Amino acid sequence: MYKGPEQESLDQRKPYLKPDLTRVDLRPEEAVLGNCKMSGVSGPSSGGNCSPAGPCFTQGS
Amino acid sequence: MAERLAISELESFDGRAVRECIRIAGISTAIVCQDPGMKWEVSEATAKFLVNATDPDVEVRVAFADLTETASGDRVFDSGALWQLYRQEERCVFRFVSPVFGPVPYKIARFASDFTSGDVYLHPRCSPRGQPAYPLEYPLDELLMINLLARGRGAEVHAAGIIDRGGNGHLFLGQSGAGKTTMARLWQNEEGVQILSDDRVILRNQGQSVRIYGTPWHGEGRLASPACAPLKRIYFLRHGSHNRVIPQRAAEAVARLCACSFLPFFNSEGIDFTLAFFEEVVSSIPCYELSFLPDQSVVAMLKKREVE
Repeated sequence: MYKGPEQESLDQRKPYLKPDLTRVDLRPEEAVLGNCKMSGVSGPSSGGNCSPAGPCFTQGS
Repeated sequence: MAERLAISELESFDGRAVRECIRIAGISTAIVCQDPGMKWEVSEATAKFLVNATDPDVEVRVAFADLTETASGDRVFDSGALWQLYRQEERCVFRFVSPVFGPVPYKIARFASDFTSGDVYLHPRCSPRGQPAYPLEYPLDELLMINLLARGRGAEVHAAGIIDRGGNGHLFLGQSGAGKTTMARLWQNEEGVQILSDDRVILRNQGQSVRIYGTPWHGEGRLASPACAPLKRIYFLRHGSHNRVIPQRAAEAVARLCACSFLPFFNSEGIDFTLAFFEEVVSSIPCYELSFLPDQSVVAMLKKREVE
């Protein structure tokens, strides 16, 4: 049976998949580079290796 | 007021100019100071990124200044902790405040709107003259970089990066505690493998390929290299009871990239660029969730997948 272009187009459509929502966690304090990386609290000299005179490094990985 | 110091005032210092240049992800930043009281010290990791560049992409001039508590300009963004961003005419001004020093900023950085030039003022009470200091100390170095990248250049992500023996780049993304340093260390002794970073990697789209670059901003493993490589695979790290690789759909991959990125949330054009950039990245680079055991078995599994 002949199918017109519209019917063929309908046949080729992807099957319907119900939308699903995936939650992705964001850690704002990490994302905005707001906190001391070493101690996890604000400010240089507030702990760990952090000071205005030297860089610190990230806690955990 | 301190923030209103003119650039020309910096040129009035009599001391010899000190100039260092750092190149990260192909972007070179010259740091210039004419104050003889300024004594610089860079970390071992940052020293790997020092270069001789006569024509830097960015020039930052540094001086001491008695900074004041009063901020001028419109407040654009508050990080909730170390820094706040203000707009003064066309300039972006970062004020860095620490509870250690009270309400007076220990540093102020002022940049042109395109971030290719700027001034950094250090408060001498917090960074005493003659004592070693690094003017672009965290988080200023990364704030500068993410703003430059968001202007059409790329993105900085929270990830470990490696170059395999075939010269291909592999990215292992995750927030703090996800296992980036663990993963980098597992690859560290593999023959022919180079570790770009165990904490921060930069992605740039160059020509027909996406490349990843190491940064000086390492994690606990202190692994940092200025090398780069074309990106072949992206893995989102997850602790697991066994090693498992699950392909990620594009939308989920973009969302997870965003969640592991350092974005200028105060710049809508920059966010638009980054989202489009990530869409481009995931359309050409296979993305997976990687659950793994913290031992060599995960390296063996990934190497086996590469040869199959």
